[in-house]
Amino acid sequence: MLEILLYGAVTSAVYALLAIGFTLVFGVARVLNLAHGSFYALGAYLTFAFGTRLGLPLFAAGPCAVIAVAGFGVVVERVFVRPLRRSPLAVLLITLAVALLVEQGLFLVFGSEVRNVPAFVAANVSIAHVDLGGQRVLAFVVSLALLAALRTFLLGTRNGAAILAVAQDPEGAQSVGIDPNRTFSLVMALSAGLAAAAGVLVSPFLTVQPTMGLLPMIKAFSIVILGGLGSIPGTLLAALALGYSETAVAYLTSGSYTELVSLVAILLTLVLRPSGFLGARAAM
Amino acid sequence: MARIALLVLLLALLASAPLWIGSGYALSVLVLCNLWAVFAISWDFMSGQTGRENFGHGMFIGTGAYTAALLNLHTVVSPAACLPIAGVAAAAVAVVIGLPTLRLKGPYFALATLAAAAILQRFTIIFWEQMGGEEGLSGLSSLVSSPVGFYYASLAFLVLATGALVTLAASPWGILLRGIRGDEVACDAAGISTTRHKIGALVVSAFVAGVGGAMYAFFQLQAGPYLLGVNTSLSVIIMSYVGGIGTVYGAIGGAFLLTGLGEGLRRFGEYRLLFNSVFLIFIVFFLPRGLFAPLWQRLRRRAETA
Repeated sequence: MLEILLYGAVTSAVYALLAIGFTLVFGVARVLNLAHGSFYALGAYLTFAFGTRLGLPLFAAGPCAVIAVAGFGVVVERVFVRPLRRSPLAVLLITLAVALLVEQGLFLVFGSEVRNVPAFVAANVSIAHVDLGGQRVLAFVVSLALLAALRTFLLGTRNGAAILAVAQDPEGAQSVGIDPNRTFSLVMALSAGLAAAAGVLVSPFLTVQPTMGLLPMIKAFSIVILGGLGSIPGTLLAALALGYSETAVAYLTSGSYTELVSLVAILLTLVLRPSGFLGARAAM
Repeated sequence: MARIALLVLLLALLASAPLWIGSGYALSVLVLCNLWAVFAISWDFMSGQTGRENFGHGMFIGTGAYTAALLNLHTVVSPAACLPIAGVAAAAVAVVIGLPTLRLKGPYFALATLAAAAILQRFTIIFWEQMGGEEGLSGLSSLVSSPVGFYYASLAFLVLATGALVTLAASPWGILLRGIRGDEVACDAAGISTTRHKIGALVVSAFVAGVGGAMYAFFQLQAGPYLLGVNTSLSVIIMSYVGGIGTVYGAIGGAFLLTGLGEGLRRFGEYRLLFNSVFLIFIVFFLPRGLFAPLWQRLRRRAETA
């Protein structure tokens, strides 16, 4: 029981980090970014590249990877998404193309074999006789810190207020002098950086391979559907729900059934309450 | 006139292909072209007409392929009888996916189909004892024993499916489906149950793709999880996009071009997949209306003014 409680907390925190950028981008730009999972994969791979190949200490390699991926997010927005925003299909296709481009790029550069990123913290932490591992504790703590920082940024700064304003009413925001394109770039940087941070944090205890981005994309998507597209509190709530139910299923049955949890969550939500837990806009 | 002449010429070329390219590798590439063309037109029938983009068409292709493979390996059903059953199985998946998602507006359908296909692909790994895992199911008996015979079977199926889907798209029902793409609210207001029609279109699309998937399995003599993968679904979308979305027939041109190019680039190995995504980016930016349908329509306009 206690294991489910602790492991579930770690999973939920990482899921929240992963999904919140996805929902922010949708909320601000009405764009579904299918390249979101590749930000996560790039975060993990760049940590591996900076740390193992270039020999940077891991505590420097991780943040460098996050910053590089945030920059990449801005490039994706400027070059690929912005010229096509009028056509939702073109945006979906172009972001999917970027996702595949990244996947194949990683495949060509790093090969298809699984890469190992060493743990940032070697210490073995046990809480009430549950063997948790230092890396999981670190992932949990850093995820919470990043989420708190995001909250402070959104609620306490002018740029954050601009993001919330555009999400609420793009035209209204424009008429009071907020540049929607600049805001969108900023949100893409945030979103990419947060997804990369999730990738960096879990890379030591998950397999790092070129196709690793697809499943997190689907997780982020299920969480966002469950919580309500565009709703930040809904996303956090749904990350908790999915993180805990997956951990519970993994403990009670064999691990391979965890993938089904997100499918069931999506289908149930779409049937029972399409706008999600806290979705503001009616989906019907 | 020019268009009819061109159509007859193309059909004659395809029908006589075994005579001048033999029955070897080149013919098997043409079979692949035919089958991918079936996948692409079936995608375009639903997504091109109604404007609801299906990002998981591979799930219908894969369902058809796996249904045919399971039936062929474990029962005495003849390969030819497997084809319609595979189509029905894919159509059943379409109902299950369509019912909860096609009621909704916005991007839910695209995302839900993407997720559903990925999760079905996981199923083949989770239930590896029944579904063969990464290796898939192999050792199927063949549908038609000679390569030339199989080629004609695939060509006949492509012609039949194109005829049926183009006719459906031109029928009042097709007009209604394009009405949904144009203005769904107006259709609702006119008392049309748009959800039912969208699900109907998805079922037709899935049935054709399922039969095509079964043929694909009988051609390769195996069904693999890659058929359910994102790459399969995306290839189908790219083919329709290159052909010109919403025209049904345009997708055939896209399928032949991309399948042919894909085979031509096979010696570049891993770079081939990279080419696919670069090509997609190029098309989305520079040819938003596609390549083949605009050419065909120009021919028609010229015929009308002449």
